[in-house]
Amino acid sequence: MKKMIVVVICSIFICLSVCLSYKIVLAGDDDEGGGPILFTKPVKAVLFDHKTHLGFGYSCEDCHDKLFEEAKGTAEEKGDFTMKSLYAGKYCGACHNGETAFASNTKCAVCHIGVKGMNRLTKTGKK
Amino acid sequence: MKIEEIEKLKNEGVEHLPSKERRDFLRLGLVVTGVFAGGSILSLMSAKRGHADVEGIVLKQYSYKPHYSMVIRQDRCIDCQRCMDACVKTNHVPDYGYRTTILERELVIGPGSKQREFMPVLCNHCNRPPCVRVCPTRATYKDKKTGIVRMDIKKCIGCKTCMAACPYNARYFNEEIRAIDKCDFCWENRLSKGETLTACAAACPADVRIFGDISDPSSRVYKLVHEPERVVWVLRPETGTLPNVFYTKG
Repeated sequence: MKKMIVVVICSIFICLSVCLSYKIVLAGDDDEGGGPILFTKPVKAVLFDHKTHLGFGYSCEDCHDKLFEEAKGTAEEKGDFTMKSLYAGKYCGACHNGETAFASNTKCAVCHIGVKGMNRLTKTGKK
Repeated sequence: MKIEEIEKLKNEGVEHLPSKERRDFLRLGLVVTGVFAGGSILSLMSAKRGHADVEGIVLKQYSYKPHYSMVIRQDRCIDCQRCMDACVKTNHVPDYGYRTTILERELVIGPGSKQREFMPVLCNHCNRPPCVRVCPTRATYKDKKTGIVRMDIKKCIGCKTCMAACPYNARYFNEEIRAIDKCDFCWENRLSKGETLTACAAACPADVRIFGDISDPSSRVYKLVHEPERVVWVLRPETGTLPNVFYTKG
């Protein structure tokens, strides 16, 4: 009987610790807020950093799901994920319009890190 | 400097202005409209008919017809490398060499802020090409009609003197053909077949590389290079090569 109780208590403890650690991982994800996103279509490559944008005081709801779906890669699969759409106020262009943030048709290399930047991030040896 | 404040100052006239100062100023493509504060020149007008005359660029002298040239709008480059891919495909460039490539650097633009900058480079098809001058077998030459610096691979003995002479690092030794290979503005594979653009210019999604005939005043390259308000520069002007590849921003 005593053994049973010990086993039950142990298993509950293990379950709890597993859940807790999982929660910590989730919380970590929340802190990251999606981490850096590398867009490789239609051109290589654009880097979006969640941390930078959250640092400006934006919340997840400001972009999700109005401008971008939360699942990685959905924007790239759409045919209209182009600079033209950005100029029309879609995607990044909703803020990058020259008023809220710098306009999409300026400072190209701030977001466009190019093939070189992509290779540095993805650690492929080729420069 | 506030225009309102300057307007209140007395215009001191240009008679005490050293002629060198004045000439240097006029070269910027601006008209001297006033002088104040002991020799500071004020200009609020662009000399519309003026043209840039900076070191390394000689305008108004286009000895070839068509005089092929490229303008690179540098700040628009995003290093997507579609130009490089198109060049490799069109001209069968091996992976150990390049006819065109993109350089990268970080500019410090202020305390704690940096700016990435990409710079496409290729053969500058100089009017005074050092590579042509040093070639012992005349394997590399300036095309008499178009001004394109080309290679006659049958004459090339692979001595690589031209590689050393080129200030733009635009040449590489091709192991397959046992000769030097370089950009020829796609003459071999496109222009001579009736195309009007180089492969890189046609492939660029950001309208960085503008290719055309700079001796034709209606061409885009002519218009870009001759805008008085536009800053245009060439690479390594001090070498006196007079390149036909111009760089600009905006």
